[in-house]
Amino acid sequence: MTQVDIREEVNRAAVEPLLPIEKKLIGWSLTVGVVLLVGLAILNHFIPATF
Amino acid sequence: MFDATLNDFGSRRADSVAAPVNEDWLAVVLGLAIFVLALAALANVDLIGWVVTTSVWSNLGQALKATSKDFSSLGGIGALFATYAALLIVLSASAVALKTSVTKFALAFTAVFWIAYASWVIGNFAHFAAVTSAEQQKFGISWSLKLTNEGGYIFALIAGLIIANFFPRFAEAVKEAVRPELYIKVAIVILGGVFAVTAAGKLGLASSLILRGVAAIVEAYLIYWAVVYFVARKWFGFNREWAAPLASGISICGVSAAIAVGGAIRARPVIPVLVSSLVVIFAVVEVLILPFIAQAFLAHEPLVAGAWMGLAVKTDGAAVAAGGITESLILAKNAAEGVNYQPGWILGTAATIKVFIDVFIGIWAFVLGYIWTNHINVTRDQDKAKFKEIWERFPKFIIGFLITFAVGLYLALGTSADIAKKVPAAIGEANTFRVIFFILTFFSIGVLSNFKTLWQEGFGKLAAVYLLSLFGFVVWVGLLISWLFFGGITPPLAS
Repeated sequence: MTQVDIREEVNRAAVEPLLPIEKKLIGWSLTVGVVLLVGLAILNHFIPATF
Repeated sequence: MFDATLNDFGSRRADSVAAPVNEDWLAVVLGLAIFVLALAALANVDLIGWVVTTSVWSNLGQALKATSKDFSSLGGIGALFATYAALLIVLSASAVALKTSVTKFALAFTAVFWIAYASWVIGNFAHFAAVTSAEQQKFGISWSLKLTNEGGYIFALIAGLIIANFFPRFAEAVKEAVRPELYIKVAIVILGGVFAVTAAGKLGLASSLILRGVAAIVEAYLIYWAVVYFVARKWFGFNREWAAPLASGISICGVSAAIAVGGAIRARPVIPVLVSSLVVIFAVVEVLILPFIAQAFLAHEPLVAGAWMGLAVKTDGAAVAAGGITESLILAKNAAEGVNYQPGWILGTAATIKVFIDVFIGIWAFVLGYIWTNHINVTRDQDKAKFKEIWERFPKFIIGFLITFAVGLYLALGTSADIAKKVPAAIGEANTFRVIFFILTFFSIGVLSNFKTLWQEGFGKLAAVYLLSLFGFVVWVGLLISWLFFGGITPPLAS
């Protein structure tokens, strides 16, 4: 592989504002993740580890 | 997962998955072969007892021996040469499957094996490895670094780092055999059986740990990924083509996730390759730091420590290896206080969490691929994301892990007492091979970690995102989640 000019690769990438679909992806992902984690934490509290 | 021969990647389409699949299936075959050979002991036929094992030593002549007493006549050096010869033959044959020159591989592997194993032996020197006062007395020494015998992994890693950073031409010369992902995948396949034997005695705890592992998936994919993607896009101004593989590499599973997602969103191949370089370097930093932090602050929460390694360290090799070192350090610290935990649980927790995270790489890559090809860079129908990509991107070595786990569990719980009592010793011999593949993994990770990369022009911005996301968010949220779900749960005591 020829030496990649990383600075050129990074810098030539045009600035792209966040699209609505990206904002939805981030928002939904975080919301579902936090809700699921809270749910799992509550489940974990009521179903302690067995030995 | 990380194909050491990155030079092959440059001209291929980002969505090609041929090389990783071959390596995955190869790992399944090798791991299962070792596992099956070990199980011959159940029929009183010892096929792999000649494999070399190393003990903590003050007299080098007593460092090595064959794993099984049946082969004690070989002596330590004989066992070492037998192990080298067997691995050389099997892995050189594997080189054919990987479409690599057998001669080049054999020469490279010779160097890799001997340097890596020598590092392991050095790491087992009593002044480095002995932990308790009783051990120090046994070896007649007055001081020790107390790294435990698994500190030998660190020595192998450091040997690799020295070669990568000070002898780059030698690193290039041995690159054919520098395959950390192949080695760790073989080790993980074997680990399935080892963990089964550990879990068999405490099925309730094992089930609880697996259920708690689900929380790891939720965190890695939904929370980590979203935050890191936002940071990369909004704070550092990376475009989508960069941000998606970067977020995947930092939040999910380093190399394999970066490559899978890069392929799914049809990014240029160079991008996940560059991200992968960073992943390996930062994983090395984590392996050198996190286990010791865990020992210092989480010695009384051993499974929190194990889970933390699985959630915070971002390649399979480094995460599972970090789990092994953490286990060794924490067990030693507790043993010094008179509490002897059963080994295998901390490593098993780290490995299980990592495996869980790996399972869903294909699904997440498909989700992102669907969004990209249908809503962001809308493509022709034949280029859109397809369901079959989920299977193509599924890490096949996990199938091997599940097989050895299921078989090991069955043998330990579902057979007669006569057979069941032989299972731990039989799988123990396979475990010796697992240790050797860990050694090869650590050394290989080191050889691939050229820190000068970070100083390359343009890498600074990538490294900055990585540093901020990993050490500013991922590591600490991972610790919080580990604490929430594994706090207060301790391994059973050793009998």
